[in-house]
Amino acid sequence: MTALRVALLSSAHVHAAVWLAGLRQRPEVTVLGVADEDGARGRAFAAAQGLTWFDSYAAALAEAPDAVVINSENTRHAALVEMAADAGAHVLCEKPLATTADEARRMVARCEDAGVTLMPAFPMRFSPPVIAAREALLAGNLGRVYGCNATNQGQLPAHVPWFIDPQLAGGGALMDHVVHVADLLRWFFGCELREVYALANRILYPELEPQVETGAVVLLDFEDGSFASIDCSWSRPPEYPTWGNVKLEIVGERGLLTLDAFRQASTVFRRGSPGAQLAYWGSDANQGLIDDFVDSLLQGRPPAISGEDGVRASAIAEAALQSARSGEPVRLQNERDAP
Amino acid sequence: MRVGIVGAGFMGETHARAWAATPARVAAVYAPREEPTRKLAQQVGASACRSLQELIDKVDVVDVCAPTDRHAAIGLQVAAAGRHLLMEKPLARKLAEGQELLRACELAGVQLLVGHVLRFFPEYAAAQASVARGDVGELAVLRLTRGSFQPWAGTSHWLTDESRSGGLVLDLMIHDFDYAQWLAGPVESVYARSVRSREADSPGDYCLALLRHRSGAISHVEGAWAYPQPLFRTALEIAGSEGLIEQPAESTAPLDIRLARQDTEGADIVAPTSPLAEDPFVTQMRNVYDVLADGATPRCSAADALAALRIALAARKSARCGRPVRPDELGGVAD
Repeated sequence: MTALRVALLSSAHVHAAVWLAGLRQRPEVTVLGVADEDGARGRAFAAAQGLTWFDSYAAALAEAPDAVVINSENTRHAALVEMAADAGAHVLCEKPLATTADEARRMVARCEDAGVTLMPAFPMRFSPPVIAAREALLAGNLGRVYGCNATNQGQLPAHVPWFIDPQLAGGGALMDHVVHVADLLRWFFGCELREVYALANRILYPELEPQVETGAVVLLDFEDGSFASIDCSWSRPPEYPTWGNVKLEIVGERGLLTLDAFRQASTVFRRGSPGAQLAYWGSDANQGLIDDFVDSLLQGRPPAISGEDGVRASAIAEAALQSARSGEPVRLQNERDAP
Repeated sequence: MRVGIVGAGFMGETHARAWAATPARVAAVYAPREEPTRKLAQQVGASACRSLQELIDKVDVVDVCAPTDRHAAIGLQVAAAGRHLLMEKPLARKLAEGQELLRACELAGVQLLVGHVLRFFPEYAAAQASVARGDVGELAVLRLTRGSFQPWAGTSHWLTDESRSGGLVLDLMIHDFDYAQWLAGPVESVYARSVRSREADSPGDYCLALLRHRSGAISHVEGAWAYPQPLFRTALEIAGSEGLIEQPAESTAPLDIRLARQDTEGADIVAPTSPLAEDPFVTQMRNVYDVLADGATPRCSAADALAALRIALAARKSARCGRPVRPDELGGVAD
């Protein structure tokens, strides 16, 4: 394959514009257009981005795209993945792949049966500071790893209301923000999780009367005995100088590794504007994700992140929500170990 | 006010210096080992005592800086003699011991103060005051970090013996457990993981604990005895419905000196420091003095210290059994 024709399915997620910008960096890629079940939203996105507008997903898939990028609300991923697989299109799907592990597994199976790629969008794997941290770990610099204290905190994306709609998002901060770091930790440690415990509350952003958790912390047990916490709270107020963070502090028998993935930023103060703003100048991990997806298809190889990775991350988020409800740790079902 | 210090180690010396800034006088020092006792007594101009009873007879207040597992026996003898007690944290090694200390001091009508000095560190006190003013609204998520190298690694010092000190969780993390409950109120359940709970002979220790407060707030507490020398770092973050307080590790180290090494091995390792006009141990001791001399309100009550001990013991238990533990349901034998 030397050229790729790509369609965008839904523009619900704020990352739709990000993935589009990444695709437009690639001369081999032609973006066919966008479809969205919310016509007003989709038309506005198409107009703003100078894209062709399709009035249905079927119409977009009728163009026989080689690949699609799915940017819908979380609980609508599965239906779109299945439509794409049936149309023979490869899929890059916004995270979380699904809001339950079972649904994610069905999506993976459907794509396998159709012979198409399914890549979940975990762009942090392409962040150069993240990659450098993993290399330091793999080189054994820390010795045996004891544990990790991680945060993926953020502002609540209040301008996109579905993020706090339980029917569309499948959860709140736990569903939105646990999967990124959980995926990184599986990748770093090279092992799977055994158990998940979570605490959650709805105290932050009270003016939105959230029906999902806005503050939450998980504690994860890995098969090798190490453990990690992820604070995924929407605990940055709207006035915070940046959207949020991805930070990991890993402690091992030989010391401490601290990673602040978005630390490569200048602090900017402007007369007449309230407070500071962070101006990020680090490398663009999102482009790395798009490049890997595009290259994997052009080269006929699997992408760096598999559907199975998406299943695992979804299972962790699902278990975290279950634990937050029950107050008890939740053991992950390792279906591959089952008889 | 005459003060007797029991214990002549690091904390005994630290407290002796702090007392010097108050109107009280350190009149007596006692520790089982004669030489350190004599040395500290000489430094502060106090009598070096040969027994606890001899010290008790010379003073109005006994400041216990002995190993944690000795707190209860010493404290009970002091209370029985009708002397006020300042107990270095943690209150006791075991819950039943802590409960007995509270009962004995109440019966004897003496004060039981506990050295949760973190409440007097300016960055922690300022954040507490800000929260109390309502600056961040209702508390949602607290993040507290405290880490250093393993103290006394490779020695037979009592601190390295968990049966005596309670280890990282009881000795170091209890600072933050107490602070968390000071800000966010009583803790309903504790879930924790630690290295030592799985590998008793691990050279270092690392622990993560999640607390669920009755208010609904969550506290994330991290403790490490695993950093390379001389790193010691603390951090706090408090997120609430109306705002956020961040106090990252770097902000407590306004002074950081990095020098080229000279020929003497290790001589030029300098730890980042947080220079202050008044040592927080002095601030603490002024409050202790005001409580004992003028009936001021203690910043940390005996009941607070017992509650902090419950949280720490619950964390130890949770790290061992793997399940959430309710501090209120711990039996007296919990260790």
